[in-house]
Amino acid sequence: MNIESILEGWLLNVVFIFLISFIGIFLGLLYKGFDRKISAMMQSRIGPPIIQPFRDVRKLLTKETIVPENAIEWIFNGAPIIALIAPLVALMYLPIGPFSPLLEGYGDLILVLYLLAIPAIAMAVGGFSSSSPYATVGAQREVVLMMSYELPLAISAITVAWKMNEIVGPETNPFSLQVISSNPIWGHVGLIGGLGIALIVFTLFAVLPGELSKEPFGQAKAKTEIADGVFVEYTGRNLGLFYIANTVQMIVLASLIITLFFPYQLSNLLERWIILQGPILPIVEMGVWALLVDVVFYLFKLLLIIYFGVSLVRVAFARFQIDKASYFYWVPISIIGLLGLLFVVVGATV
Amino acid sequence: MVKGKATYEVPIGPIHPALKEPFMVNFKLEGEKIVDADPHPGMNHRGIEFMGMHRNPLKVIPLAERTCGICSIVHQHMYTTALEHAVDIVPTERSRYIRTIMMELERIHSHVLWAGVAAHEIGFDTHMHFTWKIREKVMDLLEAISGNRVNYSMWTFGGVRRDIEEDMHPQIKETLDYYKDLYDKLEDIFLGDPSIRHRTRDVGILTKKKALELCGVGPTVRGSGVKKDVRIDQPYSAYPDLELDYVIPSRYGYENKGDVFSKTLVRLKEIIQSIDLIEQCVKKMPEGEITSEPNKAALLNKLKTASGEGIGRLEAPRGEAMHYVRLTEDNEDVDCWKIRASTYNNLATYAPMFMGEQIADIPIIAACIDPCIGCMDRAEIVDIETGVKEEYTKDELHELSVQKTKDLLEGIDR
Amino acid sequence: MPTSTIYLLIKQLFEKKATNPFPLKYAPDDMTSAAELIEKGDLDLNPPIDVPENYRGKIRYDKDCCIGCKLCVRVCPSEALVFKEEEAKVKHYVARCTFCGQCVNICPKSCFEFSEEFLIAGTDKNAEDLIINP
Repeated sequence: MNIESILEGWLLNVVFIFLISFIGIFLGLLYKGFDRKISAMMQSRIGPPIIQPFRDVRKLLTKETIVPENAIEWIFNGAPIIALIAPLVALMYLPIGPFSPLLEGYGDLILVLYLLAIPAIAMAVGGFSSSSPYATVGAQREVVLMMSYELPLAISAITVAWKMNEIVGPETNPFSLQVISSNPIWGHVGLIGGLGIALIVFTLFAVLPGELSKEPFGQAKAKTEIADGVFVEYTGRNLGLFYIANTVQMIVLASLIITLFFPYQLSNLLERWIILQGPILPIVEMGVWALLVDVVFYLFKLLLIIYFGVSLVRVAFARFQIDKASYFYWVPISIIGLLGLLFVVVGATV
Repeated sequence: MVKGKATYEVPIGPIHPALKEPFMVNFKLEGEKIVDADPHPGMNHRGIEFMGMHRNPLKVIPLAERTCGICSIVHQHMYTTALEHAVDIVPTERSRYIRTIMMELERIHSHVLWAGVAAHEIGFDTHMHFTWKIREKVMDLLEAISGNRVNYSMWTFGGVRRDIEEDMHPQIKETLDYYKDLYDKLEDIFLGDPSIRHRTRDVGILTKKKALELCGVGPTVRGSGVKKDVRIDQPYSAYPDLELDYVIPSRYGYENKGDVFSKTLVRLKEIIQSIDLIEQCVKKMPEGEITSEPNKAALLNKLKTASGEGIGRLEAPRGEAMHYVRLTEDNEDVDCWKIRASTYNNLATYAPMFMGEQIADIPIIAACIDPCIGCMDRAEIVDIETGVKEEYTKDELHELSVQKTKDLLEGIDR
Repeated sequence: MPTSTIYLLIKQLFEKKATNPFPLKYAPDDMTSAAELIEKGDLDLNPPIDVPENYRGKIRYDKDCCIGCKLCVRVCPSEALVFKEEEAKVKHYVARCTFCGQCVNICPKSCFEFSEEFLIAGTDKNAEDLIINP
């Protein structure tokens, strides 16, 4: 291999990394706008225009960044950058619509789960370093909450991987996201297993608001209690970065759920349907059109998951106290997750 | 709790999202648990009494209602009745009923608004928007009757300034029916929703003993089972003619626990009670004049030299409140005007309610007495030369009072 | 968990929204150019909700019937009415008015009356239309 081709591949990867980051941020802000609009409509309000988050971010990025006197400056400024980078990196490992992940083969589900934990840690570290009592309380809550939802999250990942191991055999890495997405799990489990997987999906949906610090698990930035908690001292660019990080995190989580449980592509079905129609329809060259259909279908799936997992839940429940929230993840949700695992195992042996 | 565990302080206020008005509480915390709460009022002094003492009695009516944005009828009623008491003006029979209707409409408006604020404090904005949406209906009715959405300017000495005519009755009926239809839904949400229940039950408990000791008023203590309601204890306006009973949780098969849930229950049940009272009023309303002093110019001249002192008190949506007014012959303006709002009493109940609760419960407990700092903050003692705020102990205040009485007595002797 | 809140939310999603989009649904990007468009009539404004009968809007003052008895000045709580000695009429500062209507009630000649005009906010309290009988 000569140096030129290595350089070319490397350059292409850099271009793709920027492209995916850009798409991730764009989609994040777009769906944030959708989330705000639809929750406003559910509350009988008109709500902001869909592009409002773009305006908010533009404004935040141009504002002055204030660092509190007693804050540890480098941590305080570093936390939002880390918080943004982690979900963007996770996006490189996830299949987006019909496209396979950019860094295919370099990392798997376990890595993505670790990357998902980083924004929460960054928020907590940023909060602790900002020296405000409100931020300290918020950071403590963020850490407690993170420790609570990690268990159900891990249970869901393990269940999927265990089943995958059975489907694809011991040679293949069952944690590989490409493997998981090319073998839709629902087709391989029986009725009991299907029930188990449904419970696992429920568990993941329950973890969603906790990961994103949205109500009913918005304790870390509870506005009326501790005045936005971890973000109380954050302004300008730093706050804007946290804002973007949160939206990208939302896309990553929704994409993860799609990859694990709903990796279906519409183009396959469409193709089959066209073939079934036989000579009536002229044979359409799929190619680019198939890709387009799949992208639109992926965006639609994102929409549904964000609506049911984030928007609806966020407006339908009051904020829990932190001990109740922690209990909620440790006991009921973990039990539901374990039951799901049990059902999948039983379904496989029957 | 481990002994010797480090406590830290978190100030809530004077400006904080949980508080709608400037007010401050210093909290000592152990982790998330509150071990000490120290309220500091006095951030919202506007000198409204001072302004009132430099105006003639008629000018003070619109000023009095601006004491509070929500219970403006309450303050103008108290001021008006205090002055009527001082100079022996008797309001007409019809005006008493109109006043009662307005006060009960305002109670509905105030309680629905409170429910929205409470929902917002526990992070449930959906119900804030929902309750505030349904509140519009009663605001529209108040606007249709008085011409203003808030600060109604309806009261005058001897009666009211606008009549509730026969053609207004269908709109009143329609509004009341609207709330009757919605009431089940409200109760379903605020007493039945699981996430609201777990935020309000067993939170901020005020025992009956503490409630009596600390002299709390209104729904705050009725939630603890204290039978205290000026409308029944010392009825005013049209209340002697109406049928009503104390709203306490045990009347509806709940425990008189005194937690936030009980207070919510009391406020919700009072909405239905108000609807009932308004219906009674509309049915029993007598014919007649709406004011006993139609000639305002003559009244103004009469008040110029009138003297006397009077007290006006009522059951505001937040509890008992009181105005004191004194007129003297040689002073054309109101000589003395003192407001004692319900929040002043209820503030003392904060300390036992906060103790042992979590940070997360601070907003909802702070909101559960329906605080109105604008009504309450009457004085702040500041040493002008040094700028240091002084706090008086009970003994010092007693000393000052004795001294003041002695000075006054000397003046009489002379 | 299908709580009653969720039914309410789904219902409200499809209902007519409670917000009255007055004067525009969304704030315009550029206020100055939007104001120009409105002046030209190119931008349609959503109408406000109708005011009820007996609404307390901006007060009208009939200068000719005024006899200069000063009663209104004596009852105005916010000193919005100022007596002009040379003319024996009153001057009304709308920016100070609290719409209590005591002047309307006390005037022996009924020179004051409430209008239904409520769009009287402005940036200059001494603007021409905010002082009656200057």
